[in-house]
Amino acid sequence: MSGQTHILLVDDEATLREPLAEYLVKQGFRVQQAGDASQARSVMNAFNFDIVLLDIMMPGEDGLSFCRHVRETTGTPVIFISAKGEELERIIGLELGADDYVTKPFSPRELVARIKVVLRRTNGGNGVKSGSGAIYQFSGWTLKTDQRSLVDSEGVAVPLSSGEYQMLLALLSRAGQVLNRDQLLDITQGREAHAFDRAVDNQISRLRRKIEADPKNPEIVKTVWGGGYVLAGDVRTL
Amino acid sequence: MKRFLPNSLIGQLLALVAFTLLIAQGINVALLYQGAQNQKMVEASASAVARIAWEAERINERGFRERRYRRDGSLRIRRNRPSTTSQSAIEDGQTRLPSVEERAARAFDNLGITSLSVQAARVDKLPANMRNSVIGLGRERQRLRAIAYRKMPHKIDGFIIMSAQIGEGRWLNIASVIRDRNPRLARTLIFQTAVIYLILLIPLIWLGRYISRPLKALTKGAEDFRPGASDPIAESGPPDTKQLIAAFNRMNDRVGAMLNEKNVMLGAIGHDLRTPLAALRVRVESVEDEEERDRMIAGIDDMDRTLDDILSLARLGRSKEAAEPTDISALIETVADEFTDMGAAVSFTRSGRTIANIRATLIRRALRNLIGNAVKYGEEAAVSVDKDGDKLVIHVDDNGPGIAEDQIEAMFEPFARAEISRNRATGGSGLGLTLARAIMRDHGGDVTLQNRAEGGLRASLMLSLG
Repeated sequence: MSGQTHILLVDDEATLREPLAEYLVKQGFRVQQAGDASQARSVMNAFNFDIVLLDIMMPGEDGLSFCRHVRETTGTPVIFISAKGEELERIIGLELGADDYVTKPFSPRELVARIKVVLRRTNGGNGVKSGSGAIYQFSGWTLKTDQRSLVDSEGVAVPLSSGEYQMLLALLSRAGQVLNRDQLLDITQGREAHAFDRAVDNQISRLRRKIEADPKNPEIVKTVWGGGYVLAGDVRTL
Repeated sequence: MKRFLPNSLIGQLLALVAFTLLIAQGINVALLYQGAQNQKMVEASASAVARIAWEAERINERGFRERRYRRDGSLRIRRNRPSTTSQSAIEDGQTRLPSVEERAARAFDNLGITSLSVQAARVDKLPANMRNSVIGLGRERQRLRAIAYRKMPHKIDGFIIMSAQIGEGRWLNIASVIRDRNPRLARTLIFQTAVIYLILLIPLIWLGRYISRPLKALTKGAEDFRPGASDPIAESGPPDTKQLIAAFNRMNDRVGAMLNEKNVMLGAIGHDLRTPLAALRVRVESVEDEEERDRMIAGIDDMDRTLDDILSLARLGRSKEAAEPTDISALIETVADEFTDMGAAVSFTRSGRTIANIRATLIRRALRNLIGNAVKYGEEAAVSVDKDGDKLVIHVDDNGPGIAEDQIEAMFEPFARAEISRNRATGGSGLGLTLARAIMRDHGGDVTLQNRAEGGLRASLMLSLG
C-alpha cells in the first residue's frame, strides 16, 4: 500500500463521526466523512478507499444496503460500526460481505487494531476472509463462517471463543501448511493483542480439547516440532 | 373416580348421553316390568276366578259334596277342578294378594256368584294338597309330576292359590300357574339402549367435533402464540366459538403491535444511548492522565453493560436465534476460559459431552453472569455439571460469604444487590441474576441459589434436556 491508508467513515451521527475521524487522523490515517449513504456514494466516486467504516442504522439507505453496493462495485473491505449488538445482526452483517464488525461503544484502539487486521488480510492476499460465507468440512466437522458455528457430524454445535474460531479458521484456510506462532498471531490477532507465544499455545490446546477425540494425541491440529502447527487431513471448502 | 372420566369434549358428551340414556331406559324397563308383573297376576287370577265360577255353578246345580275318596283313601277329584273343602286352602305364612282378592270378589259379584269371602295367595311351590287342582300347566304337567312338584320349570313363576267361600263351610280352592312372561327384560334393555346409542353416536360425534375442533385450534394457537409471527386462526364452529376466535385473533394483533412498538422503542433507546456513549468513548482517548482515562473508560463500559442487560432482559422471549443442539460442556469451557484469561480463578473439569437444545448466546450470557458473581463475591468459582434424569444442572460454587437465607429470593429482583457489594467498586448492573433466571426460564429451566454446607454459595442453572 502506498502512503497513508484512506478511510471512508459513514455515520449519520456527527457527534460520533467527528471525534472518531479526528482520532483516526491522529493515528495516521487519511479520513473522508459521509453523513449518509448517498453522500458516501458520491465520495466513493471521487476517491479510492482502502477501507470503509460503516454505520448500519442510518436515515435513508441503511448500512447493509450500502455495504452490498460497495461489495458489488469496488470490493473495498467494510467494517460495520453499529449500536445493534445482537449476535444475529452481527451474522447478517458478516453474511453481507462485511469484513468485521464493532459495536458501539467501542474502544477506538480496538477499532484501529481491527482496521489493521482487515487491511493485512486483504492486501496480503492470503488473509482470512471471514465474510466470505465459506463452509469448511474437515474430519467430520463443519465450520460455517457466515454463522461462525462449528458443528459435528451429528449436527451438535460446539461453541468456540472468538480466539479459537480465528485460530481454527487460520489453520483451515491454510490446511496442510505449517504456521508458526508469529504467523498465527499475525493472522488472528484482532481484538486484544496477545503479545505472547503462550497465548497461541493456549488457544490451540483449548481448540484441541473441543475438536480432538483425544486431545493428548491430536489428529486434526498437529504440532510440528520446532515449527508450529498444521491442520492435517482433508479439508473441503464449499 | 375422576381419572375414569374422559377429558375431551366429545368423550364427556358421549359419556353423559350414554349415562342419561341408560337411566331413561332403566326407568322404561322398570315400568315395563311392573306392567308385565301385573299382567301375569291378572291372567293367573282370571283363570282361577273362571274355574271357581264354573265349579260353583256346577255345585249350585248338583249340590256340594265335600269329599270324594278313592279306595286308596286319596281324594277323588279330577284334575283341573277346584277342590272342595270345609276350610280355606290358604295357610298362614303364605303371601296374601289383597288386590287379587278384591278383584276376584268383584268378578264373582259380576258373574252372579255368591261368595262369602275370597282369599288368594302366591306360592313358589305347589303345596301337596293342591296338586290335583292346578290349572294353566299345559304341557309342563308331565314334567311337573316327574320332578315331584319340587322344582318349577323356568317359565313358571309360581302359583296363585285362590280359595272362595261359597257357603258355610264350603270352600272352593284352585291353584293357577303364574306364567313368566318377560324372561328377557335385561337383554331387551341392553339391546334397545345400544341401538339408540348407536343411532345417536354419529350426530353426537359430529356435534362434538363441530364444537371442539375450533376450540382445539384455538388452544394450539394460544400455546404456539408468537406475537406478530403467528397466523390468525381460522374462524369456524358455532357462532359463539367464531366470536371467541375472532376476539383472540384481534388480541393477537394488538399484542403483536404492542410488542413491535416496544421493540422499536428499545432499539431506538439502545441506538440513541449508545451513539453518544460511543462518542464519549472516542473523546476519552484524548484524556492525557492515564489513570483518569482508565476510570472514565471503566465508567463507560459499566454503563454499556447495564444498558445491554436492560435491553437483553426486555428483548427476551423475542430472540431471533434458533435453538440448536449444542455441546454444553464446550460452552461452559469457553466461558470459564474467558474468565481465566482475565486472571480469575475459575475451574471446570470437563467430563464428556452433554448435549442440549439451547440458544447458545443466551445460555452463555446466563453462565457468564453467574460465574461473574461467584468470582466477584467468592474469589473463585468451581463449575460442575450434573445430570438429574432429563434435567441438566450446572452448579457454580464459590467460597464467598454466601447470602442470608431470607435474602436469597430477593436476589433475583431487578437491581437487588448483596449487602456486601453496595459500593460501586464491585458494582455491576444488578440485573445479572434477574437476566440469568429469565434466560433459563425461557429455556424451560430455572436458576436457584443455595448456601453450601461447607461455606460459600452454590448457584444452579437447571436446563431441561427433553
